[in-house]
Amino acid sequence: MPLLDATHSAFALLFSGDATLWGIIWISLKTSLIGLVLAAPVAVALGYGIASYRFPGRRVAIWLAQAALSLPTVLIGLLLYLLLSRQGPWGGLHWLFTQPGIILGQFVIAIPVLVAFTLAAVQAADPRYAETAIAHGASGWRVMLTLLYEVRFGVMAAVISGFGRVISEVGCALMVGGNIAGETRTITTAIALETSKGEFAHGIALGIVLVSIALLMNGALMLLQGDAPAARGRA
Amino acid sequence: MSTLLAIEQLRKRHGERLLFEIDRFAIDTARAYVLTGVNGAGKSTLLRILAGLEPAEAAGVEFGQQPMQLAPYPQAMREAIVYVHQHPIMFSTSVAHNIGYGLLARGMSKAQAEAHVERAMGWAGVEHLRESDPARLSGGEKQRVALARAKVLRPKLLLLDEPTANLDGAAREQVIALIPTMIEAGASVVMACHDRDLIGLPGVRRLKLRDGRMEYR
Repeated sequence: MPLLDATHSAFALLFSGDATLWGIIWISLKTSLIGLVLAAPVAVALGYGIASYRFPGRRVAIWLAQAALSLPTVLIGLLLYLLLSRQGPWGGLHWLFTQPGIILGQFVIAIPVLVAFTLAAVQAADPRYAETAIAHGASGWRVMLTLLYEVRFGVMAAVISGFGRVISEVGCALMVGGNIAGETRTITTAIALETSKGEFAHGIALGIVLVSIALLMNGALMLLQGDAPAARGRA
Repeated sequence: MSTLLAIEQLRKRHGERLLFEIDRFAIDTARAYVLTGVNGAGKSTLLRILAGLEPAEAAGVEFGQQPMQLAPYPQAMREAIVYVHQHPIMFSTSVAHNIGYGLLARGMSKAQAEAHVERAMGWAGVEHLRESDPARLSGGEKQRVALARAKVLRPKLLLLDEPTANLDGAAREQVIALIPTMIEAGASVVMACHDRDLIGLPGVRRLKLRDGRMEYR
């Protein structure tokens, strides 16, 4: 099928309200967003902690956080598969080939992205923010909230990058989710499957959705950021 | 006049280099001091140590006649000592929120803090900037907001790092005019500075860091 015809069919599928197609999109969004929402508080606090406190092994923690960014998701999938399989230590959860299993995978995949971006944002922040907060009697908790507010655009970028990584990954979702129709079939695993079957229109339609999500998320970030870089320069 | 803060054998090193070694550093209650010394003498570092923002060695610390230590920095000193940077940074909220920041951080309700913030804005002459974007303030306005942000906490000891540096004309005069009123309010003030007008304020004692030692004048 020529590319143009496939793309035309893809748009037709999308606008026809194909239940299977939109079901896949829904599963993808749901598992990615839940994984991200669970990962964000943990990872942002971790990134802040590593950036702000001096402790033995800090450099190793930074190194690991940054190295984990390039960890193949298929490897994370393999590790989770072994942990969640019936003989594995977490087998009792019965999460293999289920949406909670995929969410766990998305959680693990999102953590390094969020930690590394938050770490970079907090490290780049003017140290006077934290010092002013401390010198005016703020508790450790309030200093953290103050600083994270000041670097909020960096944190937002972290969250959006994390979302981009989890919604576009295929290896872990395939291994842990098993690509079960209506249950664990996500956009990316469906693209892989449809392409292997020669159903390019489905693959392209799902690809269009992925690209649209990426454009929307980044557009929203740009709108929220406004003239933030200029404002930072004046601070 | 009673002693507010006394530190024995205060020593600060940067790696192997000894920045200063002060046998006894003492600040009286409700008195103003200017701290002078050449660039790199350690004036800012000393203020930051007093504010608990930098570590240092000390043989003994007394604050309000109570024995203390510099590390971990005691809560009693945290509540009584406020430090203002040479170039104060503003949180990206509003001027009013910046001034009330410390009050809210110390657990005061928003409603209670509002009245204090209003008074402090009036004192610093920044009422018209209440809802302004703090990032767009001039250097002099930032310094006045920072002084109001500190004063509203009614500190026993206020540490000002070069409060008039990089200010000129009316902005500098406005800042200088605020300082005696802080002393009148009962705060001890230590200002690291070279400004002759600040050094010449009535009743201000002069401290000088020279070759790693403190000279009292």
